Amino acid sequence: MEQRLANSWRMTVNEKNFIQTALLSDLRTDGRGPFDYRNLTIQFGSEDGSSEVQLGQTRIMGFVTSQLVQPYRDRPNEGTLAIFTEFSPMADPSFEVGRPGESAVELGRIVDRGLRESRAIDTESLCVVAGKWVWSIRIDLHILDNGGNLVDAANIAALAALLTFRRPECTLGGEDGQEVIIHPPEVREPLALIVHHLPIAVTFAFIGNESRVIIDPSHFEEAVMGGKLTATLNTNGDICAIQKAGGEGVMQSVVMQCLRIASVKAADVTGKIKKAVESYKTIRDLKNIKRHPDSVDINNISKDMEKSKLELEKTIDSQTNDMEIESHSSKKDESSWRHSKHKAVIGRPSSWDPYTKVADADELKATLASRAVATPDLKTDVMSHEKQELNVLVDTLRDADPSPLLLVAAEAREEKNKAKTLLDAVKPKHKRKKKNLSNSNGS
Amino acid sequence: MDIERAGGRGANQLRPIDCSRDVLSRAHGSASCSHGETRVLAAVFGPKAGTKKNENPEKACIEVIWKAKTGLIGKIEKEFEMILKRTLQNICLLTVHPNTTTSIVVQVVHDDGSLLPCAIHATCAALVDAGIPLKSLAVSLCCCLNESGQILLDPSKLEEQKMKAFVCLVFPSSVHSITPEESTPATTKSTEQEIITSLTHGIMAVDDYFHCVDQGRAAITLLSNILKKKMRSQSADNSSKAA
Repeated sequence: MEQRLANSWRMTVNEKNFIQTALLSDLRTDGRGPFDYRNLTIQFGSEDGSSEVQLGQTRIMGFVTSQLVQPYRDRPNEGTLAIFTEFSPMADPSFEVGRPGESAVELGRIVDRGLRESRAIDTESLCVVAGKWVWSIRIDLHILDNGGNLVDAANIAALAALLTFRRPECTLGGEDGQEVIIHPPEVREPLALIVHHLPIAVTFAFIGNESRVIIDPSHFEEAVMGGKLTATLNTNGDICAIQKAGGEGVMQSVVMQCLRIASVKAADVTGKIKKAVESYKTIRDLKNIKRHPDSVDINNISKDMEKSKLELEKTIDSQTNDMEIESHSSKKDESSWRHSKHKAVIGRPSSWDPYTKVADADELKATLASRAVATPDLKTDVMSHEKQELNVLVDTLRDADPSPLLLVAAEAREEKNKAKTLLDAVKPKHKRKKKNLSNSNGS
Repeated sequence: MDIERAGGRGANQLRPIDCSRDVLSRAHGSASCSHGETRVLAAVFGPKAGTKKNENPEKACIEVIWKAKTGLIGKIEKEFEMILKRTLQNICLLTVHPNTTTSIVVQVVHDDGSLLPCAIHATCAALVDAGIPLKSLAVSLCCCLNESGQILLDPSKLEEQKMKAFVCLVFPSSVHSITPEESTPATTKSTEQEIITSLTHGIMAVDDYFHCVDQGRAAITLLSNILKKKMRSQSADNSSKAA
């Protein structure tokens, strides 16, 4: 007992008075205004569904995983969503392992109410066989560093992880059509969750006798505050949850003012989350190009490509030539930009990868895929079709050239629009070749 | 014959290692270490007053808490905790702060093979960041053995699952080289002959095991130099932490 007291951190009276007096002149200890958020950075891990959020000094990691389970009796056609919060002892010396304390439970409940009860995640789409198999989504939030305002950061981490999570695709099969077959990500592209809206939690702290209101309290301000109010809103103007568990009483007008400020901040944060998720998506799509591990000489590949193209050149149709030249010219200006962007991404994840230049051949493959579809509009059914064609194309090329070639998991829309200089030579022949293949394949 | 590894790595090639200290604000010492895709975050709190019930109060007590990415704490986590605790008890100077507890919290961010070496490097860096007195640093490596008897260093998760056996070795690494003076070759040689921890999975012949140890020891000097360089470059621009 004495040890625990000796090890715990307490705020001194001087620090408390300083914070309160400074607030009387609208000053906060870290130089913010009373209604300013700290710096928010959202990063993503290497897997789908893992996010790391940093709000000032507060650091939280979110992981989303899924599993097939039996549904609840009273909801046979809905999936389930569960949130687990881990108050890791690394975040704060007062956090202990084992049973979660009351603040941990409260945090879990606020995030849960915001996500589940406001129907932000569509649970009906998670049903596979009604009454027997549904997807259960599990969100683990690890608090790594307690710099104050864990609720807001945890909410953002959960949302970011959910937006980037992909669940495996499954189909019904087997003898009686009741067996569920889960496809691994290499076979079928995993699916994203359906998110209707983004509920953002905004926390206010009430400090001092006059109940000064500040937003996003830091760790020191939390130790001094008299009361706390968390409002979860979305950009549609809906209030998903409000939590004010005890503490000092505040006037109604103050609460209304807080809600108004919260809606502005929610829009702000939603924009940031969406931007981070978008940039992650583009990086992920570019990274989806699978590489063959064996050593491949770039020159050989392009040479072989040329060889096989030359063979097909004899069967060129003049009309197809014209069509492609038209579509190619429009994409020409994008080529250099795409090329540089692609190169930058390839170089980043592993610096020891000697095959950075392989990007050229990757883009080539991708653009081969794009050539299969003359029109540049993007439809999902077209994607799988062109993937098939591309795979067949790759197989035939592989036969022509014994050295292993690069595989493309062509999910990326962006790659469709990429055009390479090599493509000029490729286009006409492959159009023809794919036509032949699709004829033989499409039967 | 040469086995082809993902990404064209050689049998003796390690993945890129990155180690950074002082990543958390509340912890007394913290570090993040990554071996390729495997990432581990470690935080140190201590020395705190008092030891646990069954521990010897004449020495400092080390407590390790291992947090996996998802799921409840199970036997695997407990095993890692025990391994880390015993390894660290060997490298820390326990008699400097008697009757105290140093807590080390390890969080697995991503596991792509050689998790234990990554965790040990992160923990050592965190201990250095917290200023806990150490006898020496620890350097660790994972080697795996495939059916044809070839030894591969630093396996990824897929390789670990496919291989016949793999072994994780921890060696001490002298702290002399973290300061500018050069240590005499005699002392470094003697300390680096020891093995602190060795953990095997799967079946391997005794000769194969010794080959793994030799291979590991050969790679250790390079690895320890990389880690020390990372720590040294950070210590230059680090200011002192308030407790």
